[in-house]
Amino acid sequence: MLLKNIQEWTLLLVIFGFTAILGNWAGYDVMPLEAIPGMIVLILICLAGFILHKLIPIDFPSVAYIAIIGVIVSMPWMPGSEQVVAWTSKIELLALATPILAYAGISIGRSWTDFMKLGWKTIVIASLVLLGSFIGSALIAEIVLRFQGII
Amino acid sequence: MSNEMLFGLWKDWRLHALVLITVVITEAIGTFSFTIGPGVVMLLPMLYALIIGLALYFTPLVKEKQSKNAEPIIVLGVSLLLAKIGVIIGPDLPEIIAAGPALLLQELGNLGTILIALPVAVWLGLKRESIGMTHSVAREPNVGLIMDKFGINSPEGRGVMAVYIFGTVFGAVFMGLIAGFLATLTPLDPLSFAMASGIGSGSMMAAASGSLVASFPEIENQIVAFAGASNLLSLSTGLYVSIFIALPLTEKLYKKMTKSDEDKKAA
Repeated sequence: MLLKNIQEWTLLLVIFGFTAILGNWAGYDVMPLEAIPGMIVLILICLAGFILHKLIPIDFPSVAYIAIIGVIVSMPWMPGSEQVVAWTSKIELLALATPILAYAGISIGRSWTDFMKLGWKTIVIASLVLLGSFIGSALIAEIVLRFQGII
Repeated sequence: MSNEMLFGLWKDWRLHALVLITVVITEAIGTFSFTIGPGVVMLLPMLYALIIGLALYFTPLVKEKQSKNAEPIIVLGVSLLLAKIGVIIGPDLPEIIAAGPALLLQELGNLGTILIALPVAVWLGLKRESIGMTHSVAREPNVGLIMDKFGINSPEGRGVMAVYIFGTVFGAVFMGLIAGFLATLTPLDPLSFAMASGIGSGSMMAAASGSLVASFPEIENQIVAFAGASNLLSLSTGLYVSIFIALPLTEKLYKKMTKSDEDKKAA
């Protein structure tokens, strides 16, 4: 079962990665051949995270494993981390975000009717919710970072 | 992630081809920016990708099946995004540890949503919906909490779902638009806004930090590292901030605000 899972994950990650690499080329002028090693590293990190999530029987999200593995393999104290960073730096963050939002657009089409029912009051308040959280966090960060002398 | 949902999704070539074409076109168009007063608004390719994807849903090219299949693939895409954020955080880890106090404390800034949005919600005449709407940024853990406490058909449940839907449909676009704009408009440091970008949603974080990077390309890695670290913290602490601080505080303030209304009416 795990092997079957790994096969499905890998196929989908490769398809997603292929799209991202072409977007990376069209948008940020990185030749696909240069971007392939970095994409392989990212896919391997994801697979490692998914497998850990399956094997370890505690309720810890797979995305958290993935982020932590990503941090560990690229920490300055980690042997080989320079190579990992050099390869993955060929993949732009935004080149990964664009396909996510393309899939998201196709997916949320189904909730569009729900969205249209929300009404203007909801839209005003939901905007203020995001704005309030963003400004609140930025203000606190600014105060603490200044206090620490980092900025 | 329930893996059974994934089986055979790679075979949906129509879906993948549509996404591929959308991505190449939108990336080739590239980023546009325009100024409103002293601030700069960034239009990123991901914004066009969302709009084209949404438009495609209403064409015969996308069937119900493609739309359903797209959903679990978003999770895989977010996984790749988080792997990338991980390898951006790694090299900057010493710096992030140094900024640890700021990172931890700014999580409490998410309470800003209560202070700004709750009074307006009450003022607009919303009842207990406003508690669900404004206690948090309404991502999955917060929706779960409200459902657990009040149920899906309660006013609070409707409120949190409304903000959740707005966030899902427009959150990334909205954050992408305001992040670069506020960072160029206000005297606050872009790194403060980078930390604020991590509100517990991968796509909103990517949009917000992406528009910050477009405005301040010279500190790209620092911005993404701080935003990514803050997002991880939000994902892991957000629920507890909601349970122990945000939700009780929202309920208390709501009671206070509506009580003074009633007093006025009574007088």
